[in-house]
This record gives sequence, C-alpha cells and structure tokens, in this order.
Amino acid sequence: MKRYDKVTPDGTRDLLFDECVSRAQVAGRLTSMFRSRGYREVITPSMEFYDLFCSAAAHFPQETMYKMTDSRGRLMVMRPDCTIPIARLTAARLTGMPMPVRLYYSGNVYRVSYDMRGKPSELFQTGVELIGSSSLRSDLEMVELAAAGLSDIGGERFRIELCHIGYFKALIGNLEAGPEEKEAIRQCIEQKNYAALGDLLEPFGKNPAAAALKYLPRLFGGEEVFEKAYSLFSDGGATESLDSLKTVYEHLQSLDLGDRVLIDLGLVNQAEYYTGLIFRGYFDGVGEPVLSGGRYDNLISDFGAPLPATGFAFNVDAAASVSAPPESDLPDVLVFSDSRHLAQAISHIRSLTRDGLTVENSVFDQLDAAVDYARKRGIRRLHLVDDRIQELDPETL
Amino acid sequence: MKPIRIALTKGRLEEKSVALFEQLGYDCTAVREKGRRLILPVAGTNLEIVLAKAADVVTYVENGVCDIGVVGKDTIMEMGGTFYEVADLGFGRCRFALAVPRGVDFYEGYHTRCIASKYVNVARAFFEKKNMDVNIVKIEGSVELAPILGLSDAIVDIVETGATLKENGLVVAETIMEVSARLIVNIASLKLRKQEIEPFITQIERYLAGGKQDA
Repeated sequence: MKRYDKVTPDGTRDLLFDECVSRAQVAGRLTSMFRSRGYREVITPSMEFYDLFCSAAAHFPQETMYKMTDSRGRLMVMRPDCTIPIARLTAARLTGMPMPVRLYYSGNVYRVSYDMRGKPSELFQTGVELIGSSSLRSDLEMVELAAAGLSDIGGERFRIELCHIGYFKALIGNLEAGPEEKEAIRQCIEQKNYAALGDLLEPFGKNPAAAALKYLPRLFGGEEVFEKAYSLFSDGGATESLDSLKTVYEHLQSLDLGDRVLIDLGLVNQAEYYTGLIFRGYFDGVGEPVLSGGRYDNLISDFGAPLPATGFAFNVDAAASVSAPPESDLPDVLVFSDSRHLAQAISHIRSLTRDGLTVENSVFDQLDAAVDYARKRGIRRLHLVDDRIQELDPETL
Repeated sequence: MKPIRIALTKGRLEEKSVALFEQLGYDCTAVREKGRRLILPVAGTNLEIVLAKAADVVTYVENGVCDIGVVGKDTIMEMGGTFYEVADLGFGRCRFALAVPRGVDFYEGYHTRCIASKYVNVARAFFEKKNMDVNIVKIEGSVELAPILGLSDAIVDIVETGATLKENGLVVAETIMEVSARLIVNIASLKLRKQEIEPFITQIERYLAGGKQDA
C-alpha cells in the first residue's frame, strides 16, 4: 500500500501559478540587478559530496543535512548552502581568472528543519559572491548591493543591519578562557541572553574585555553605538574593526540609506565562518531575516586557494512575501476553429502572441464546449476562426 | 500602527506576568476578565496580550507572529529555536532533576538505564554529556508513575518542592539545571521595533534589579 503518494515531504511544498510568478519576479529583479553590476551566473549541483561541508570553516552540523550515497557508496548531501560549492568551484576552476571574480547564483538549499515548527526544509536562495578582494571597497559594494536589492523588493519597509565580527573576536581573544567557555559566551551574546552572559563573565571580574563582552548584546541601534564601542575596548584589532565598519556606515549615510541602516555588534552567529563585515536584511512584517551575508576570507583557502571573499544570499520566498502580488495570468483570448481550419487557428494564435497577448488554443470539437470553458475560466474574448475571424463575448453567447 | 504582541504562557506564568505588568503600571483588566478570549488588549497602550501553551509561545515568537513571549526556561531547553532571550524574570522558579526510587543508587552496575520524561531532549542532552547510553521513553502525564510501574529506572522532570516525588517514593539524584520564566523576543521585531520594545525590556529589567522580584 502506498501511503505517501499524494503528499510532499515535511518542510517542502508545491508552488502553483501566482506563487511561481512571484518567486520568479523577485529572483528575476535581483538577478538582473546583479548582472547589471557585472556579476556572472554559475549553477552548481544540488547534490555535493559530504566532505565539502565538513571543512573547518564551513561547519554544518551533520544532523542538519539531508544525506544519501552515490553509486559507489560515497556519502553525499543535498547542499545546505550555495557559498561552499562556489568556494569549491572557485578553488578548483577559477584561480586563473583576473581577480576579483563576481558571481551570482539562484537555487534551492536544503536544511533539516525542526519538526513541525513552521520552517521550510527547502529554501530558494539568490545571492552573490565577490571573490579575490579584501578591500573596504568590496565590503561597501556588497552592502550597498544588498541594500539596493532590499529596497527594490521591499521599498520603504526594509532595514539592513551591520556588524564587524572583528570586534567580537578582539574581545573574546583577550579573555583567558577555554574554547567551550568561549563558545558558551558567544551563544549568550547571539541570543542576547543578558542574564546568563553576566553569570558566565562574573569570574573574569574587572577585565575590560569581559566588561565589553557583557555589554556587547546591547550594542545595537544607530550611530551612537560606535562611541560606546570605541570607549569599551580598543586592543587586538577592535579599533580597526570599528573604523572599517564606521567608514562603510558613513558611506551608506551619504547614499541616503541612513535611517535604513542599523548597527548590531552582537551579531555573532557563525563567528568561525565570518572574518569581517557581516550584515542581515529585514522587512517589516517578516519575522526572520530575508537576507544575510558577510566576509569569509578563510573559506576558499580550506579548498586550497587563499582568496578573500564576501557575499550574501536572499531568502527569495521570504522576500517575495512582501512584494506586490503578480498581475493576473488570465489568457486574453481563447481561439476556436472547426476541424477544417486548425492550421488557420494556429496561424492566428501565432500572430496574436506576437502582438504580446496571452492566447489559449481551444481543444474542444464543439463551439459550445469552448464557450462553456471560456466562461468557467473567465476568458473575456473568444475568437472563432473559419474563412474569416470573428470575435465573440462568451458571456453574451 | 501594528500592535506589539506579547505571548504569555497560560496559567501560573500568565498570572505572575500580569502581576508584573501591573506593577509596571500597565492596565491588564482585559486579561483578568478575559472569559474565553485569547487575544487581549492592554488599555491605553499599543500592546496586545496573547495567551498560549508554553511550547506555542516559543513557536509564535520564533515565527514572528508574536513579538515578545514569556515562557519557562524548561520549554526553551526542550524546544531550542532562534530568538532572543533577554531577561530572566525570576518567577516560576523550579529545577530540572533526575529522580530515582528512594534507596536506589542510579549509577551502580552497568545495565542500560531506562529514563522516563516529558522532556526527552533535555534528558538526552544530559546523558550525552555523561557519555551514558540510555533508553528514553516519552511520557506525557505524571512521569512519577513510570518507575513505580516498573517502566523506567528513573525520571527527568521539573521539580518544585519535591512533594510529589516524595509522595511517590522518589528522591532527587541529581539537579540538572535551575529554570525560571524568561522574556523572549523575536529577532526581527527587536531590530525593526527597537524604539517600542527596548523601553519595555528596560522597564522590566529596572524593576527586577530593584530586588522586588517575586520568587
């Protein structure tokens, strides 16, 4: 007995009609923007070897990946991310190209989601990677492109938040603690768990790095954050990190993005993976980030090519949830002919579609059936093709 | 203006939260006279209170349909998830404990233990840390029954006073962790509605720091 032959797997879904149009519209607007800035498309396989995602910098917990084996028993995964395959591709095939390389992609990623928690396990992402430059100019390009994409889709309702992971790394590097303890501290900062963070940092007393870490989850907001952050800690690259973050922030101000940009120095997710400026995008009314990205200078060297890189990915369906619903996809005309004029009917359809109309061919033998179908489907014009062409209104027939 | 939705865990945490909000000067009459309604306004503010089961508070906040939630750390530990946990409210205090029949040395011998719990993830994580392989059985109701009936060697459960354990011949073998009610916030909400949410959190923090918490 087949039990699962009429449903899709948990966390996946069928997209129908408008849903496809709306995804394609959002992805299309983003990709044409990326192309206009010199980014070039790459497509990597949906399946990759498991080894790819075990690299030190990648760090995907194994229980979050869908796995299978290939015909030779090798472990494969449905890719949980598009950036790591691009790092593989770059290291293997693009090192001879003039740098920087600008790439974009669109595709599904797969992540095992918590059971029944409303999160999809198949996500459609569109994103870019700018590889081979570690300059502040490339950071600015990335954030500005992200903001332009957010603005194009969400209009006034978007916000983008920036962080420089170097600040956190300077603080935590100054703390004499074991890796487990540091990870516990990082988690508390990520979750803005003020109470537990205070307990964890208690033993460090008046250590200035500990004091700054304790305050880190509160270091979010506007420009005022910088002053506080500078005064809290300056060693181990903290000042340099803040300087470059502030420079990017100021350039964004000059681009009139001031009130759209937030700072959160406590954005310490994936601290191992990111190495510099990181950012996330939000839309008012969407309960999760619709975009995330940042600088990851160590990832590609895991694959043997020491290339700095930065990039971001849009969660397209989350972004599409706020964009205007697509226009009606109702056909303009239904074309019917008797069996002696089939070729003429097709010629007529060709000429109408050349004029930009959406036209359906009636496959019914009888006019009555065609009229009935046009009414049910809501098509307003029926063209009857014999020796001449007659336009009829299905409603008044 | 879209209201700020606060999800409260129905029952005792709801009462304590309402008491706290009233101390802070919020008018919670609608919640006190709720009848069967599940979404209630806080008069004179842009706040709305939603009443839900503990696990659902986490789900609603995580998905952003509620901005703020009050839920026990026990539920957070069991469910995990992505949200900010901004304050320990201090009330609803109890602890996760491993409890065994009186007189039994849980760690004696080498047979694989069977553990009954409603909190299977908490139990699993606890024994993983000890590098112990155990069989975990999920029990929905009174977990104390499982060892009495001979299904399990021990239980992992929430313990408040220990009275229920005692009456059923069980004792705490080990405390796993202390728990209490937490204030959680949706990630996007905290960022997008900082001006509205942060003062609310600060107000609660100030009150708690004032030492007037009701333990």
